[in-house]
Amino acid sequence: MIVIDKLCYQSGLRHVNAGEKFAFAMITLLLCVVSRSIACACIVLAATGILTVWKGGIPVFRYLKLMTVPLAFLQLGTLAIIIDVSKTRQDFLALPLGDWYVGVTFSSFFYALQLIGTALAAVSCLYFLSLSTPMPDILNVLRAIHCPALLCELMLLIYRFIFILMEVASAITISQHSRLGNRNYRTSLKSFSALASVLLLRSFKRANALYDAMEARCYDGTIRVLNESFPPKAGEILCFALLDLLFLAVMVLERIQI
Amino acid sequence: MNGKQKRILAVCGAFALYFGLIPAAGAMHIMEGYLPVGFCVLWGVICLPFLAAGLISIRKVINENRRVLILLAMSGAFIFVISSLKIPSWTGSCSHMTGTGLGAILFGPVAVSILGLIVLLFQAILLAHGGLTTLGANTFSMAVAGPLVSFGVYKLGKKLKVPLYINVFLAAFLGDLFTYCVTAVQLGLAQHADTTLPAAIGRFLLVFAPTQLPLAVIEGLLTCMIVMGLETYAKPELRAVGFLKEAK
Repeated sequence: MIVIDKLCYQSGLRHVNAGEKFAFAMITLLLCVVSRSIACACIVLAATGILTVWKGGIPVFRYLKLMTVPLAFLQLGTLAIIIDVSKTRQDFLALPLGDWYVGVTFSSFFYALQLIGTALAAVSCLYFLSLSTPMPDILNVLRAIHCPALLCELMLLIYRFIFILMEVASAITISQHSRLGNRNYRTSLKSFSALASVLLLRSFKRANALYDAMEARCYDGTIRVLNESFPPKAGEILCFALLDLLFLAVMVLERIQI
Repeated sequence: MNGKQKRILAVCGAFALYFGLIPAAGAMHIMEGYLPVGFCVLWGVICLPFLAAGLISIRKVINENRRVLILLAMSGAFIFVISSLKIPSWTGSCSHMTGTGLGAILFGPVAVSILGLIVLLFQAILLAHGGLTTLGANTFSMAVAGPLVSFGVYKLGKKLKVPLYINVFLAAFLGDLFTYCVTAVQLGLAQHADTTLPAAIGRFLLVFAPTQLPLAVIEGLLTCMIVMGLETYAKPELRAVGFLKEAK
């Protein structure tokens, strides 16, 4: 139902220690955002892409399609940054409209290019993490870095409930479709709101039943889950560290040159 | 065709291609890597007091009644699922609700701040909407600012005895609009390299307006209809989350 969640369970990197992957993704993400250099972004994009597709075994087209998810935001955001309306003629691209010019200046064009590069590289880091590490593993890492216990518990429960509710929602959607519930705009609005209110009702009933069941099995406030543990391996840590050092070196070199 | 005409044609073509390609108009999550580090940290720190307050109040309620934890978790999952479903829109592109306005009206802004944080984290990891570095900024606009306005409008409307459905519509609509304005301000603050700050904010407001304004209206309508449905079918459940208790 959730593509990323499904893919990450079959990833080849699934059995690598979650802490390593988490640390690598976070450090790389930080390097990208701090450096904002196009060279660094390209290398990060390539490295995480190759790791995810080649080592993780995620189908290439799936990966490319996933990379287009944030495109809408990127397009609109970039448009807002580069389009300039003023009385002076822009140096890169200009379209006269009466006394005014609508266009793009060189500096803003390069700024936007830099931003797009950084953002795409950052998204590829995020995908490296989410396409190789299932949510329960990420929660374990969060627990290990002392995220508040209540928050972790809520997250664990919400993660579980998402799938229950999605199943209910998809069943309702199918039956609405089969009864022409989305025939026109009016009915589809009505169907959606009916779906949402019934979903809330069902989810509360579910929650109450669940609590009774847990209570009957001596629930005392903590949910203990048996974790599979994948101990960190020296070779993997070395690889990740070398990659991050490479990114750092590129970033420093570019700084020095400029 | 002279050079000038050619240029105009090229620019028009580029525009047509550009707007033809916009695939989806979701709620306005700032994408991963779009904000500089300083702003990521800043918005995260601004969120902290709200989150701490939320955590403390949730803990207090849970110590009295454990059942609420499960109820809260279900509510969080509900917000996630609602915001991941495609909602009907006029243009045919797929768009999503934020769901936090509804959450604020039903569960109160304090609980929604924590639930919103978790939902945004899941959206970033499971759906690639938003991101980890921009989690703070997104949490502030969607889980703190928007719900606070929704809740404030809702309470005010109740005091002024505005009819319930109009009140709910206004609360969700204004909450959504405020979220959109806050996001534009966040983007403008971070990205005003060669213009003044108000101009940068204005640009972001303008660019996102065509997708966000209709979305706010739809969100208001849907929230209103959902509350209508809940009133009909789920009175005891609503009483359990405190929606009806206060109405009396």
